[in-house]
Amino acid sequence: MTDAEMMGLIAGSLVSLGAYSVLIGDNPISKITENIYMGILGGYIFAINWDFIQKNAVAKVAGGEFVYIIAILLSLMLLGRLKSEYLWISRYPVVLTVGVGLGLAMRTTVMADFLGQIRATMLPWNSLNNIVMVIGTCTAAAYFIFTAQSSGVYKYVNTAGRLFLLCAFGVTYGQTVSFRMELVIGRLVAMLDPRVAMYTYAFIVIIAAILAYGYKTKKIEWHTGR
Amino acid sequence: MSIIDKLLKLDQRIIFALMFIALAFPILNPVVLPMAIQDYSQQAFDFADNIPEGSIVIFEGGLNAATYPQGGPGMVVQMYHMLTKGVKIVFFSIGAEANLWTMTAIETALAKLPAGTPAENGVDWVHLGYVAGGEAGTGALWNDIRATVAADYFDTPIDDIPLLEGINDASSFSAILWWGGSEGSMPYGIRQISVPFGIPISGMCTTNEVPNFSPYISAGQLQGLFGGVRGSAEYEFLLNMPGPALGQAMATNFGGLLWMIMVLLGNVIYFVQRSRGEA
Repeated sequence: MTDAEMMGLIAGSLVSLGAYSVLIGDNPISKITENIYMGILGGYIFAINWDFIQKNAVAKVAGGEFVYIIAILLSLMLLGRLKSEYLWISRYPVVLTVGVGLGLAMRTTVMADFLGQIRATMLPWNSLNNIVMVIGTCTAAAYFIFTAQSSGVYKYVNTAGRLFLLCAFGVTYGQTVSFRMELVIGRLVAMLDPRVAMYTYAFIVIIAAILAYGYKTKKIEWHTGR
Repeated sequence: MSIIDKLLKLDQRIIFALMFIALAFPILNPVVLPMAIQDYSQQAFDFADNIPEGSIVIFEGGLNAATYPQGGPGMVVQMYHMLTKGVKIVFFSIGAEANLWTMTAIETALAKLPAGTPAENGVDWVHLGYVAGGEAGTGALWNDIRATVAADYFDTPIDDIPLLEGINDASSFSAILWWGGSEGSMPYGIRQISVPFGIPISGMCTTNEVPNFSPYISAGQLQGLFGGVRGSAEYEFLLNMPGPALGQAMATNFGGLLWMIMVLLGNVIYFVQRSRGEA
């Protein structure tokens, strides 16, 4: 491992702990790390996009492909958003972007997101999976028919649809919790790497000491946890 | 104050601390629990394994700083899998930050390759770099590569890259491998490349997005899916390349167990309170 990579791991450990300190309550350390992250990411994204524009628009215009002047002009018009009196100028490229995006998406949405999904529901009733899939899809779709009275047979269809939807929400919730844990684990693996673990422990002690001093002297507001 | 009242007034920071311990413990003391391979992962692995030698595949790298630890190990393994099979790869990223992480994964995969594996930049793989515009950018790139990007990640002009000789759209590719992470961009690949050009696609997303994309698998539009760190761990296991994801998957098990206990406890307390007429 190079010195630069080692420094990266150590800095990552410090910044991660600073960011996680928000779990104790909003505090100056978490704010500093948030602002550092936003600043670095903003700068990086600006540089990458600037490079993209240079290579794929400015260089092409310089090479004689003048059609790319239109793209550059439209991009510049977007900057009108920065001053309220020129906001109207930015609406034209925004409208164009929305239109192109919609057109591109609609081109194959009917096949990908509509017909393909309907076809996938037309299954033979030869396995429990297929039966659950067909009944679940039909009853969940029927749940959103708000013009029908929830009485008679439809009441049972409605209830079944609601149950299927609740199961789906449960799955999504479980997966989301798992995802959040995986985010923490990813950081923990780097922070507890034997080569930087001692730095991590030292940072925990330092941050805890700063916060304890801040809370004791009331320089940092203590949030009652729930 | 009864135990139930104490539990109800439990400071959430104690739960955070417990979760921290549950997640850190298996990382500091590696434990291997039995793991079953999920259908979606097996399908994605079989799909990749059946790509014929000499094919060229499209590879979207959409992982960022937050999602690379969970998806990165699997992404590296897939690159290794493809290059050792003699499959050529054309990388691109629709995220500015993801562009950098894709390059990190490429470097890691190249370092792991057995000696003698053909993996020359521009011949066996090429990284087109960041492409702005999200879905519109994806559509533009794979309909006309040269009109969308002038040079690759290393500033090599597209016309000087041997792998892209005679290739200017997606029709020359055999498969799409979409490592979208948490971008939510997999439908871009389906709508803009897979459906118009008739190229099969498989991918990876973060765990929370698996339910969003499972309808595409049922419909046969997606040939398989690696979900989160578990998906990465399963890829490592299936390719017999134990790596960082397996350890992380074990930590997820411990965290999940604690979370399940908390949910059950919360429900028990709710029913006890309701039986007392307090809820």
